[in-house]
Amino acid sequence: MITIGQAFPKFSKTAVVSIEKGKEFETINSDYFTNEDNVWTVMFWWPKDFTFVCPTEIAEFNKAFGEFRDRDARLIGASTDSEFVHAAWRRDHDDLRDLKFPMLADTSKSLAEELGILEPTEKVAYRATFIIDPTGVVRWVCVNDLNVGRNVKEVLRVLDGLQTDELCPCNWEKGQETLNA
Amino acid sequence: MSEVTETINELLQSIGLAADYRTDSLTLLEQGESRYIRDFKLNFTSTLTSEHLSTKECALLALSVAVNNNNKPLTNYFTKYAEEQGAIAADTAEAAACASLLASNNIFYRFRHFTQKEKYTQIPARIRMQIMMKPVTGKEFFELMSLTISAVNGCEMCVNAHEDSLIKMGTTEERIFDAIRIASLVTASGKVIY
Repeated sequence: MITIGQAFPKFSKTAVVSIEKGKEFETINSDYFTNEDNVWTVMFWWPKDFTFVCPTEIAEFNKAFGEFRDRDARLIGASTDSEFVHAAWRRDHDDLRDLKFPMLADTSKSLAEELGILEPTEKVAYRATFIIDPTGVVRWVCVNDLNVGRNVKEVLRVLDGLQTDELCPCNWEKGQETLNA
Repeated sequence: MSEVTETINELLQSIGLAADYRTDSLTLLEQGESRYIRDFKLNFTSTLTSEHLSTKECALLALSVAVNNNNKPLTNYFTKYAEEQGAIAADTAEAAACASLLASNNIFYRFRHFTQKEKYTQIPARIRMQIMMKPVTGKEFFELMSLTISAVNGCEMCVNAHEDSLIKMGTTEERIFDAIRIASLVTASGKVIY
């Protein structure tokens, strides 16, 4: 499995970004993971669309969308379902219609495989969450078994911990070099 | 019209305030025909001039201090003046942001420095300071503004830390000194205009 300190794999995939006709799809690639604007990425995976645990969890992430935005973090949801399944699920489910983040379609399962999060028998993704820093490096990974839901607050807590806060040279102590951020 | 009232009128006019604007302290100065009012006017005018800072920089520093000091008329005045000197909305926003952020940092780090307890330096601050990463007014100027606010708020170690980092960036002592002069005068102005 891709783990802490490793570069997030390169990819380019279709994602569902809207249920509005003609505006459903967008290509998302890993290029923007590495950026000068100090934007972090939080990518979370679920096993299958149209299943029970997933929409609750996805809706929780969506509710916290503003919390991620305020922390300069882009949220991406992903599974191995196709973009058409994603779109159908979003149209079908009340809690998913107003999703503010893209649903990535890893239809070929190549990204899940490269990340090492494919469940071996069914070949679906585990409930994995990745926090990627603005240099494209994985800083946190959390993988749950297929049936265990996630705690979004915990993801935010970790993100807070990872993002450097004390950038002020006031944090300087005697005998310590001042900060060169 | 008495001489002192005349001076007051000129002062009010330059700040864009109505001729009948009075605060309690301004009234006291006027009634006592204080000689100070002339010094006050000259000092106020001099907040906007420096050999080591551009007029826009003077205006943004003054604005930041006015925000830090919760001074509405001076905040309005320096905002308008900064805009006239070419500051865009993002610049004036940053002056306000710097005042607010440094107000928290000055309290927080001053506490750490006061107590000098190792334990307090180990607990994470949990104060977000992302605007320090890429300030729109530039790293050096933001640092100068941070130093200025720290001086007003009286955090010794913050002042030393920002001063030290400015010197390392190549800022001259004259430039730093002028920023502090502006801060002291804006704060003094706020005792009469508020």
